[in-house]
Amino acid sequence: MNLTDPFVLSIIAIVVLSLLGLPIGHAMIGGSILYLLVAGLDMGTVAEQILNGLYSSYILIAVPLFILAAELMNAGTITHRLLDFCNAIVGRFRGGLALVNVVQSVIFAGMSGSAIADAAGTGKMMQTMMTDRDRYPPAFAAALTAATAVIGPIIPPSIPVVLYALVSDASIGFLFLGGVIPGILMGAVQAGLIVATARRRNFPIEAPVPMRDLPVITLRACPALMMPVVLLGGIYGGATTPTEAAAVAALYALLVSAVLYSSITPGGLYGSLLASARTTASIGMLIAGALVFNYVVTVENIPETLRVFLGGYDLTPLGYLLLVNVILLALGCLLEGTTILLVVVPILIPTARDLGIDLVHFGIVVVINIMIGLITPPYGLLLFIMTSIAGVSLGSLIREVLPFLLAMLAALLLITLVPGTVLWLPRLLGYEN
Amino acid sequence: MFLAFIAQIVFRYLLNLPTGWTSELTVICWLWLILWGSAFVVRERDEIRFDLVYGAVRPSVRRWMAGMGALALIVLYLWSLPAVWDYVTFMKVQRTAYLKIRYDHLYAIYIVFVIAIVGRYLWLLWAALRGRAPTVAEPGSGGGSL
Repeated sequence: MNLTDPFVLSIIAIVVLSLLGLPIGHAMIGGSILYLLVAGLDMGTVAEQILNGLYSSYILIAVPLFILAAELMNAGTITHRLLDFCNAIVGRFRGGLALVNVVQSVIFAGMSGSAIADAAGTGKMMQTMMTDRDRYPPAFAAALTAATAVIGPIIPPSIPVVLYALVSDASIGFLFLGGVIPGILMGAVQAGLIVATARRRNFPIEAPVPMRDLPVITLRACPALMMPVVLLGGIYGGATTPTEAAAVAALYALLVSAVLYSSITPGGLYGSLLASARTTASIGMLIAGALVFNYVVTVENIPETLRVFLGGYDLTPLGYLLLVNVILLALGCLLEGTTILLVVVPILIPTARDLGIDLVHFGIVVVINIMIGLITPPYGLLLFIMTSIAGVSLGSLIREVLPFLLAMLAALLLITLVPGTVLWLPRLLGYEN
Repeated sequence: MFLAFIAQIVFRYLLNLPTGWTSELTVICWLWLILWGSAFVVRERDEIRFDLVYGAVRPSVRRWMAGMGALALIVLYLWSLPAVWDYVTFMKVQRTAYLKIRYDHLYAIYIVFVIAIVGRYLWLLWAALRGRAPTVAEPGSGGGSL
């Protein structure tokens, strides 16, 4: 380690600039400029990497479209109808509303690609319903909502999966398929935990919805329930690329909420567009920073160095996967997920490929890790969002989130150990590795 | 700001036409949306940042930190500007495949971006020097999209 080494200098610069509170994207661009400056390379490379990188990443356009689709569904009443539907099915059991929360997250996950959007949209509604007339302790409701929001991006569509596909060149269609079973597994684990504790904590039962009302409620929720079918059918039927499917999803969400449910106003549409433009630009800046920084990392041959370094330890593929889990979970406690995905994961991928780990399996494991990182203290975005929505203290929220966290870690371990949980469905539809 | 909306709408309605120029147009809109958006549309509290330390310190310390950070960023971006200018103007030799737009026109947004960012941080630096500590956004309000 030589302190005057350009690469070391640029890393120090990025860390210091981030600690000073600058946006991470700018910190990475700044650090990379410093690297080029000290190494005596052409600083125009910064512009070249950002512009060409963004210009050639057609797949990334899916990101703003998924954000827009989620915004539109939250602005409309799609989510209300979904909740009615879930309540009619699982509300009659002990801890009914808590189960509704899990089931709606699994279904909603098939429409939205963002955990943050899930928590801020349906999560807010669930929180109000669950704490109404003191049915559930607010901290428990908030913890559950944070935990179920994690499922959102594991089941397709998914923004983190799109980002992973970008850095790994793995097939986005098969990655989406691979996430389905792990996502449902996460939901099942959470539902199991609720059922296990429902009697002891004396959770209430909802008034059962009469069976004869079920067809009407299902019909009312049908256009919303069709969304995943439209989306995945489009991709796997070969009709559309993932990016086009994302566009179709956004258009479908707009049509359903505007025309069919007539629940969205021009003002609401404007708000949705503005919100998604803002989110897109801030995540885009991070992508731009990662593009330049990854160029620096490649010039310095860092992934190769890591591969040689780890090669000395005779790691088995499983050992490496477990090691990656530990690293990512530890980072997830401190860093924001997009940064980990775009900066750390590219360094880990070559070694995984070298060890013969399937990149679709690896990708889903990575994404689950990063999603769990959203609810690990001290830095967990979902925790922050739920404290502000529910008005509970961070401490009480963390206490309630802990059992869910442990349950999800157990599920993660299972998914890591048994690649079939991820790969079974893609293989069924023609994935070969 | 309106450009960003138009870009979004263009994405949606034109994507289904399977011709080359529409996908080219969407990529161009995407590029402009990000650089234009982060230069002019994104608010300070929307930014994705590491605020564990930044949010915990006293306002006076935070003011100092914001000033230092802004200064460093201004210096680095300005330093890279001549080389960036060379790169962008050099790209005039190429045109895009379908729309035949000259790349230097297309990529000029990066110059706009650099100048806007320098301007933005000069303003933040000035605010820090004048003694106004930057407010910290509520945790979790900015930059979540996962």
